[in-house]
Amino acid sequence: MSSSEGNSARPTRPRIRPRAFVIGGVLAAFTVGAAIEVNFDLSFFWEVWSNPLWDMFWPVPWDWVFDGDNVIRPLIETFQIAIVSTVIGCGLALPISFAMSSLTTPNRATYLVSRAVMNLVRAVPDLFWAKLLITAIGIGAMAGSWALSVFSLAIMVKLFSETVDNADPRPLEAARAAGGRHAPIVRTGVLPSVFPEYVAYSLYVFELNIRASLVLGLVGAGGIGRVIESQRKFLRFDRILGMLIIIFVVVWIIERISVSLRKRLV
Amino acid sequence: MIQFENVSVTYPGGVEALRGVDLKVDAGEFLVIVGLSGAGKSTLLRVLNGLVPATSGSIIVDGTEVVGAPAATLRHVRSRTGMIFQTFNLVHRTTVLNNVLMGRLSETPAWRSTLGLWPAADREMAMQALERVGIVEKAYVRASDLSGGQQQRVGIARALAQEPSLMLADEPVAALDPVTSRQVMGDLQRINRDLGITTLVNLHFLDLAREYGKRLVGLRDGVVVFDGDIADVDDATFQEIYGRAITADDLLAIGEEPVSQPESTNT
Repeated sequence: MSSSEGNSARPTRPRIRPRAFVIGGVLAAFTVGAAIEVNFDLSFFWEVWSNPLWDMFWPVPWDWVFDGDNVIRPLIETFQIAIVSTVIGCGLALPISFAMSSLTTPNRATYLVSRAVMNLVRAVPDLFWAKLLITAIGIGAMAGSWALSVFSLAIMVKLFSETVDNADPRPLEAARAAGGRHAPIVRTGVLPSVFPEYVAYSLYVFELNIRASLVLGLVGAGGIGRVIESQRKFLRFDRILGMLIIIFVVVWIIERISVSLRKRLV
Repeated sequence: MIQFENVSVTYPGGVEALRGVDLKVDAGEFLVIVGLSGAGKSTLLRVLNGLVPATSGSIIVDGTEVVGAPAATLRHVRSRTGMIFQTFNLVHRTTVLNNVLMGRLSETPAWRSTLGLWPAADREMAMQALERVGIVEKAYVRASDLSGGQQQRVGIARALAQEPSLMLADEPVAALDPVTSRQVMGDLQRINRDLGITTLVNLHFLDLAREYGKRLVGLRDGVVVFDGDIADVDDATFQEIYGRAITADDLLAIGEEPVSQPESTNT
């Protein structure tokens, strides 16, 4: 049945299909149309630049910034919120991701229900989760932690379930052939293959949580964001600049550590 | 003992992998199954432990009906059936020992294996299985750091850790070089002889089939076209099974005497 030799003329180079030009043109037209529609105008930059607001950012009152209770303590709280919510969110994401992947789901019902629930969770914006939880359990770090847990869960499931989908199915077949039950099969046959990614994504989610908890603080969910918001109300932009510099340095250090850890993992 | 009665398998796409297979295998036999790729060899092994459900017919494994069996029954049959794969099917990112412990899944409480808290007795059995295939020194090495031949030995150890009464080997040497192929086939033969485990091996190299098989089953288009003693098999038989002339590609090594290799040559 093997084919005969010969007949190996070079093929002609395929032409670029006109469809590519059509798609490119439509995208360009859409972008220009959208810019006109929202009154996009470059004079915006000049207006912002010439605003007298900028003078209020200087000089930075460093004694206030470094006085423990003003910035450092809320920053530590931001940290704590980020850590707690990363652990809760990523912890829940592990079993849910396995339930949501066609490779590892125990049955069709679990697959459909977990997908539906996670789509619902993702459809609600994280800021709305924060507002909802603040209304339910009051202003503070607790509401922030829960809101960020939900946020972490949504992101983690999105990232990690894709990894599970693409995991090598062959060890799973071996585990099934050995007569195991579902959970141990997934644990021994799939988890070791995807665990480095799981840890790497968790670190990434932690980075996101540090920044997201700043934003959530603005709506009253605790941490350094709340201090930024209260200083903004007093128009103390000099203090805010000091805080932003501290936050920048801290977030940068965390990201460097996290990035180097992740590089070593995968 | 295994008994196939009129077993057919039709895959969802409409492909008929097995058509009316009747086969009886006695306990302790070493059976080699040959046939072109797509002839149904893999399916024949996988219906035995229910990895592929049979569409019709009856398969009795050690007195248990497999066709249409509930999950718990299938798990029981699988726990007594070791399986070895063409691509080894190891978890690359964990240790050799953890891979072999997979063979203990059916006997260990689910919560223990899920948490990775394997009982000492299971660890001991896994170590013994590794000793039997001669690579116990690799127990704590990551599976991905092993050569192909070593990985297949881990695959055999994983199957042995189940303490099976039946061993299914699906093209166990197709991904290995000739020397390693003979070592792995030797391992399988030794296990069959020493432990009395019924062994079914899919092969596509005819000389290996002759060298190691006792009984040969030929599959062609999902039908058993030959079943008999390997001593009665000549090139004409193979041509009948393959439906074409035998070529050099069907042999592992032509014009070479089978070399009996010393135990693993790795460092």
